[in-house]
Amino acid sequence: MTGRVQLAVIGAGPAGMAAAVEAANCGASVVLIDEQPAPGGQIYRAITSAARPGKAILGDDYENGAKLTDTLAASTVDHWTATTVWQVTPEREIYMTRDGASHRITADAIVIANGATERPMPFPGWTLPGVMTAGAGQILLKTAGLVPQAGLVLAGSGPLLFLIAAQYLRAGGAIEALVETTPRSNYRTALRHLPGALRTPGYLRKGLGLLAELRKHKVRHVKTATRLQAVGDGRLQALRFSRAGRQHEIACTTLMLHIGVVPNVQITRALNLPHDWDALQRCWRPRRDADGATELDGIFLAGDGAGIGGAVVAELEGRIAGLASARALGTLETGKAEARLAAERSRLAQEMAPRPFLDALYAPSPEFLAPPDDTIVCRCEEVTAGQIRSYVGLGCIGPNQTKSFGRSGMGPCQGRLCGLTVSEIIASETARPMAEVGYYRIRPPIKPVTLGELAALHDDQAAAADRSLENAS
Amino acid sequence: MNRYSIFSLARNAVNYHKDWEKAWRSPDPRPTYDAVIVGAGGHGLATAYYLAKEHRMTNIAVLEKGWLGGGNTGRNTTIIRSNYLQDESIAIYELARSLYEDLSQELNYNTMFSPRGVMMMCQTEHELRAFKRTAHANRLAGLDCRMIDRAEVKRLCPIINDSPRARYPILGAYYQPRGGTGRHDAVAWGYARGADDLGVDIIQNCEVTGITREGDTVTGVQTSKGYIKTNKIAVVAAGNTSAIVEMAGVGLPVESVCLQALVSEPIKPVIDCVVMANTVHGYMSQSDKGELVIGGGADGYNNYSQRGAFTSLEHTVTALVETFPIISRLRMMRIWGGIVDMTGDRSPIISMTDVKGLYVNCGWGTGGFKSIPGSGFVFADTIANDRPHPIAEPFGLNRFLEGRLIDESVAAAVAH
Repeated sequence: MTGRVQLAVIGAGPAGMAAAVEAANCGASVVLIDEQPAPGGQIYRAITSAARPGKAILGDDYENGAKLTDTLAASTVDHWTATTVWQVTPEREIYMTRDGASHRITADAIVIANGATERPMPFPGWTLPGVMTAGAGQILLKTAGLVPQAGLVLAGSGPLLFLIAAQYLRAGGAIEALVETTPRSNYRTALRHLPGALRTPGYLRKGLGLLAELRKHKVRHVKTATRLQAVGDGRLQALRFSRAGRQHEIACTTLMLHIGVVPNVQITRALNLPHDWDALQRCWRPRRDADGATELDGIFLAGDGAGIGGAVVAELEGRIAGLASARALGTLETGKAEARLAAERSRLAQEMAPRPFLDALYAPSPEFLAPPDDTIVCRCEEVTAGQIRSYVGLGCIGPNQTKSFGRSGMGPCQGRLCGLTVSEIIASETARPMAEVGYYRIRPPIKPVTLGELAALHDDQAAAADRSLENAS
Repeated sequence: MNRYSIFSLARNAVNYHKDWEKAWRSPDPRPTYDAVIVGAGGHGLATAYYLAKEHRMTNIAVLEKGWLGGGNTGRNTTIIRSNYLQDESIAIYELARSLYEDLSQELNYNTMFSPRGVMMMCQTEHELRAFKRTAHANRLAGLDCRMIDRAEVKRLCPIINDSPRARYPILGAYYQPRGGTGRHDAVAWGYARGADDLGVDIIQNCEVTGITREGDTVTGVQTSKGYIKTNKIAVVAAGNTSAIVEMAGVGLPVESVCLQALVSEPIKPVIDCVVMANTVHGYMSQSDKGELVIGGGADGYNNYSQRGAFTSLEHTVTALVETFPIISRLRMMRIWGGIVDMTGDRSPIISMTDVKGLYVNCGWGTGGFKSIPGSGFVFADTIANDRPHPIAEPFGLNRFLEGRLIDESVAAAVAH
């Protein structure tokens, strides 16, 4: 590891890989930093592993990732695997841990492509053993080929839920039921955006295909379920819900939840970048321009971490950020950059066409935004929704004060799993808009680092400076 | 105000704790106050509380740019001790420490004062000699403090590395058994609740943007929530105090630097005292939650951004990992910084100013939390009676003109 790099890309998913390759092809020297042992991000996780489940199970879209990893392998990009970034500063210093020691490097430009995180779906019982997210299920499927053989229920809404259901069925798994929580009103609002979505019909065709697979396997598909509750003595035994005024219960041993993904804003928040509230998707989006540039000089954003668009959109945004950063670094002439950026932008607009339809259809149900009182909201510190409401009752005026009132957001996940919910609860209790309530101030480290690793900080830049001094003398 | 007690706890338990009343109101500012305090940290709120309680001044407001207790009050490592070197310092820090002893009863709010003992390590011959001098000065002033040897350090804190072959071996320690820690937020909340109950308006999200004067007398403050008329303005805004009093044309000999702290993940109790190791710029205690709370030295440059240099933190952690080898595998959960306001002699300023009706209380540097009750008590007296309280008098601004400095750069114990 060298102390000073030209371009550092954080995250080796589709956006990060595309940005790194694009900039490297323009002549920039690029390092790609990623937490995982192999490239791919969440969506193409384990794509380079020989042991991954086949195309017949995970589908063509997943295999597309191999093209990206192949171009990455053929490029001059220096890929640092198993390296966890835990702080990024506005001066473009990056602190990370690798092999039990901390490192610090400084980059002339940074592309942050850290992707999305699953939106928390809190309801009573969601912390019982046996309940996990659909994303976690996919990790087990992609990395270890694990398929639940019985007692699986999927609940929530969004395309990923149908995708993982289809993947499990193809892999020979059994699904007790798919319980959809998409409110009926979403269908009406989504209908308006249908013509726009038909401009890029591929997504809709895929969606209908997944539904057909569910029907073919005769999976029980419950729609417009409300008032979800996971019950069990010490571990999950059943999912309860209401539908059309009647109580239902389905026995299960594994419950996978999903209500969409939201940008992972830990790094952009820690950088104190401005974030806009997306009222439809109920999430924060870090502000950036059409090239992915932020208000901080030399810091670019790409992919789902800046706004949800999916793998293809992320790849296009990655290319745009790669070109824009190469232009900023001076390795790509402005004129050439402009022409190529324009081409990528028009493809991006085409790919973004179905988003308004999907966003409206899968807008999260209000019941999971501000859950009932007895629901645990902050899993790390075991703070319930009722406790957050009681802090507001005592005079707490924002999410940062809930930290001192009751420690929500101060555990190992650093607020990733409760940040949105805590702000939503405060907003609804105090009848203020989310943009005013705001979000946690995110403190470094973004991922916990041990004191030993910290004490063993390698200041790569200082070390390089020392070496050059020695050489000079 | 509903008093908190075992009975009120039981009563509210019956209703699932849903009926607790707000701990303080959120009033809009009135057009006129008898006094306005700028800054709702511990010092500002304590000042308001004692003004209302001891001096019956209840038509007063505390203005806060952010939220109460959100500045340095909520950012420090909560150490309470009074073993400073100079008599003037001992007087105010010991007043504060003794008020902490029964503050929970006074405020009817559990401030969790825990006199678990503070050990200040001696790791060089020079440090040993300097602390012996402080020990003698403190004994003369009547403080309960003593020097202890390496064996006793090890007995009080078994996890410490007492190897004589360490880079900085433990030669002994200076020990204050009635020093300890408190719950920083609770101190702010307790004073806020007490002051509010006595009629003080605490106005959050209200930034002071200007101070108006008529001749050499203050007449009011401009704020983000409108103009407020008042004849007494007390500025207690830590690192931002100098910026605010400049609005009235007063300059302060204060520099602002960032001081950082960090906490580890929570673990079972491993250390039941406070250890300060000044040679290596680090101090550590364990919170009631089980986290190790670690503080370091201040940055070497001026700064207002609440974000400090990483090197100072790394320096601290490296030294502490050597002093407490068992902590190396603990995960660090959060780093944060606070802006501390430093004076040349590392002693605070509690003073009237050349502008009539303008009072300042700042310059607490790295030692603000421990002094909150004492500082508020003497500052309230100074404001109410328009003359310095005897304990506050040596800390007046004129000491810089007259050269009566109160040098605490060694006994302040944090590397400056």
